[in-house]
Amino acid sequence: MSDTDPRTDLPEGARPKEQLKTDPTKPAQRMGAGTMTITLLPWIIASIAMMVLPMIFTNNSALTIMNQMSITIIFALAYNMLLGQGGMLSFGHAVYAGVGGFFCMHLMNMSDFFAMLPLPVLPLFGGLFGMGLALIVGAFSTRSAGTVFAMISLGVGELIAASSVIVVAFFGGEEGISGDRTYAQPFFGVEFLQQQEVYYLTAAWVIISAALMYAWSRTPVGRMANAVRDNPERAEFLGYSARWVRYYSFVASGFFAGVSGGLFAINYEILTEENLNAASSGIILLVTFLGGVGFFFGPIIGAVVFTLVQTVLSLETELWAFYAGSLFVATVMFFPGGLAGLIMMHVPAFKLGKAKLLVMPYLKTLLPAALGILGLCALVEMTFHYRHGATGDNEMTLFWTTFDSHTLLPWIIAGAVALIGIAIARKTAPDLKDAWNEANTAGGGS
Amino acid sequence: MSTPALELTGLKKSFGKAEIIRGIDLSIGKAERHAIIGPNGAGKSTLFNLITARFAATEGTVKLHGENLAGLEPFQINRKGLSRSFQITNIFPRMSVFENVRCALLWSQGYKYSFWNIVNRQRTLTEGADAILEQINLSERRNLPAGTLSYAEQRALEIGITIAGGANVIMLDEPTAGMSNTETDYIMDLIMRVTEGKTLIMVEHDMGVVFGLADRISVLVYGEIIATNTPELVRADPKVQEAYLGAALEAEH
Amino acid sequence: MDLILVNLIDGLVTGLLLFMLSAGLTLIFSMMGVLNFAHASFYMLGAYFGYQISIALGFWMGLLVAPLIVGVMGAAVERYGLRRVHQYGHVPELIFTFGLALLIEELVQFIWGKNQMPYDVPDILNFTAFAISGNSIPAYKIFMIFISVGIFIGLLYILTKTRVGMIIQAALSYPRTVEALGHNVPLIFMGVFGVGTALAGVAGVIAGPVLGTFPGMAFVLGSIVFVTIVIGGLGSLWGALVASLLIGWITTFAKSYNIEMENILNAIGIATPENMDENLFRDFWSLTSPQIADILPYILMVLILIFRPAGLFGKRTQ
Repeated sequence: MSDTDPRTDLPEGARPKEQLKTDPTKPAQRMGAGTMTITLLPWIIASIAMMVLPMIFTNNSALTIMNQMSITIIFALAYNMLLGQGGMLSFGHAVYAGVGGFFCMHLMNMSDFFAMLPLPVLPLFGGLFGMGLALIVGAFSTRSAGTVFAMISLGVGELIAASSVIVVAFFGGEEGISGDRTYAQPFFGVEFLQQQEVYYLTAAWVIISAALMYAWSRTPVGRMANAVRDNPERAEFLGYSARWVRYYSFVASGFFAGVSGGLFAINYEILTEENLNAASSGIILLVTFLGGVGFFFGPIIGAVVFTLVQTVLSLETELWAFYAGSLFVATVMFFPGGLAGLIMMHVPAFKLGKAKLLVMPYLKTLLPAALGILGLCALVEMTFHYRHGATGDNEMTLFWTTFDSHTLLPWIIAGAVALIGIAIARKTAPDLKDAWNEANTAGGGS
Repeated sequence: MSTPALELTGLKKSFGKAEIIRGIDLSIGKAERHAIIGPNGAGKSTLFNLITARFAATEGTVKLHGENLAGLEPFQINRKGLSRSFQITNIFPRMSVFENVRCALLWSQGYKYSFWNIVNRQRTLTEGADAILEQINLSERRNLPAGTLSYAEQRALEIGITIAGGANVIMLDEPTAGMSNTETDYIMDLIMRVTEGKTLIMVEHDMGVVFGLADRISVLVYGEIIATNTPELVRADPKVQEAYLGAALEAEH
Repeated sequence: MDLILVNLIDGLVTGLLLFMLSAGLTLIFSMMGVLNFAHASFYMLGAYFGYQISIALGFWMGLLVAPLIVGVMGAAVERYGLRRVHQYGHVPELIFTFGLALLIEELVQFIWGKNQMPYDVPDILNFTAFAISGNSIPAYKIFMIFISVGIFIGLLYILTKTRVGMIIQAALSYPRTVEALGHNVPLIFMGVFGVGTALAGVAGVIAGPVLGTFPGMAFVLGSIVFVTIVIGGLGSLWGALVASLLIGWITTFAKSYNIEMENILNAIGIATPENMDENLFRDFWSLTSPQIADILPYILMVLILIFRPAGLFGKRTQ
């Protein structure tokens, strides 16, 4: 019933966790141990922000990007119900979003039924179908946790994605299934022809879904999901079947994934095999982990940042996926708390009122480091262009300058910037470390 | 004769060819405080694991309040009123002390797998958890991550989680392991208070604790119980002296 | 009858290739508890390095040198990457190897581009070994079989008959004890990881010319490899062998014989529906075995998980 860790021969639950350096007389700062009350303020601010954004960014491409962010946010939050809250790593979660989306597309094409349905309700159906699939798959996949669960999720995900090319009736084969959202029942006169109308629909669903998922994490089953994640054996001896807790989390996660699929259907009016495949599953893992699995808002940050990288950065360079991959590996190795973890790391300093101490050291270290990294990126870009550019096409544009990648000067400049930037950063890093320790210790100094 | 709280009949456990538990018959009455002692490697933890279904027995039966526990999962056994602590501290290190205890209360207060109650709003949960924190003297550490507590505090929390659910058969696996004398006294006092009126089964090495707490003692040697009796009679039993206490008493002279 | 023989050989080639990958994966998993998601990426690197070296120094140098390079890279990954992440737990380890797989795929595209490489069978092996009733069996396939079997026998010998092998086997189950006996367990871990990935590299060098050398090759084979070890049972080398051969043969036979679902359903008494174009299950009716050949391993995995979750020879039962 228990797994022993091959390296320590201890039961899994007994692995010593990293100790915090918090002052015992101050309240704890990590999310799971902090205050548990639901404060409404962040939610109100977020809602207002979402309502106001389209008035600031009015062009359609900005709206499209924001919609893409919203869909990814819901999907990432749903994924984190498994990964961050439940400790379950799934490599095949896209299928629940995809299947939910496909069902919604079929509903769109059932003209009689669809004409009676107000469009805002459609994602609900997506959620129900995603949940349905999760009910079936979870029945056998949640028997285990950890590595076995991950492998099962990969296999099942691949099975469904591969089946999609075979079962043309449901998945539409190569072309997928497309539809038209405007044939729904008009919702208070709105037919959702305008991108802005779709934005508000999506935004409403984001707020509602996020609020529901947050509330879930505050319910008995949500709390026990955390418990089962940290120590399944202990949870069993508290009267809870770890297996059932995981199952319920899995099903709930499938529901919200399906909601994101339904919103995808509304936004893009087409679903293809791409929505189901392992690449999509991999992306949501990247997004969620990058944002930070230990905090509720982590996946939200990850979704926003990744969407920006994917849409904006991809316009600048062909290598954006390479950078994303490198960032991901760096995150896993050096700051596994993700971006949210990085942010929350500063909370103790803020609470002590000593955050100001960090500003100068950060500038002195991070600025050169950033320049150094940009220098490295320049070298990478030039190498790529040199190697794969069309013969004769020696010119490339980088950082608003056009130059010939086959001459030596740009390489020297980029190399120098990289070296100098990193060298300065390394030199000032110890000062940053000292400032950090100073900012995190209580007491104003004698 | 009232039903014993816990009854073991012909219990055996082998791992491959190695027979660890060689046939144990034991009957523990309600509200009895029973200690199990024995040299290292005697199989004490294995015995605990058999009773709580962490392992399946090779032979024999375990009955809780007369009910056969065969084939049940640990969580099912726990719901029938048996709770255990672990030799290596087994709490939820990332949750706050308060949350640890609250999780222990959820099932017993009937919340099951509900997703329609927000735990913070349930007063019975909060008050119940705070009451237990009072009992185990950790109210001051309420909101700290459990992983930051000192060793003895974590052991106290472990005990708190074990009794929180209201189980009437409490099994403690070496509760005072690795503690100083003051810490041991503290834990001993805690155990006496929180297990008032409940059946307590304890594996222990510290003879002071054993002789101070237990109503009866069983001595486990090489997978068999060689004596079950009141502390004085066990102390005087020549078999026990030879197998277990003898060497220690010799060393003391 | 002869077709069966041809398929047996083809299936054997695939199965042995799969085993080369799943054996290394199983070794690494048994010893370190980490499932190396990037294992197939090292297979891909083997193919690419093999190709690159073969341009300059010929296929045989590639076969010799490429796995060594891959093995060294693998050892470095363990030493500088995995070891660092290990402290956070199994899930972060898996996520790390996943990120690594992603990165390696991007790296390969960065260096060699997105197109398939013209990695060909060496001329010396580019002939037909023999023919079975009209189906020619390339000598290269026989070569692949021999290399694979040779490597296994070597591996088996090292693991069971040499002192190093004994230590490795012991460290597989009780690393702390082995360390207490004075053996350098971290070095052993690094070595096993290096050997495991080198094995994957060998598979890449010899499979590259046949299966194609392109950036997606890691993923295509990778998920099948994971399915293989789940079916065989996590942590069991024999299970990996049986499962690999099973999958190799099942997929080969399914592709070769055109078994139609319609015929099967008719045979058990269900008549073909009249209007196939409107029928909801038309895809199901028109299923043929070649169509589902590639997803048969996944179906098998799901079945095993439902009825025998530990896999065929699984050790780590819940």
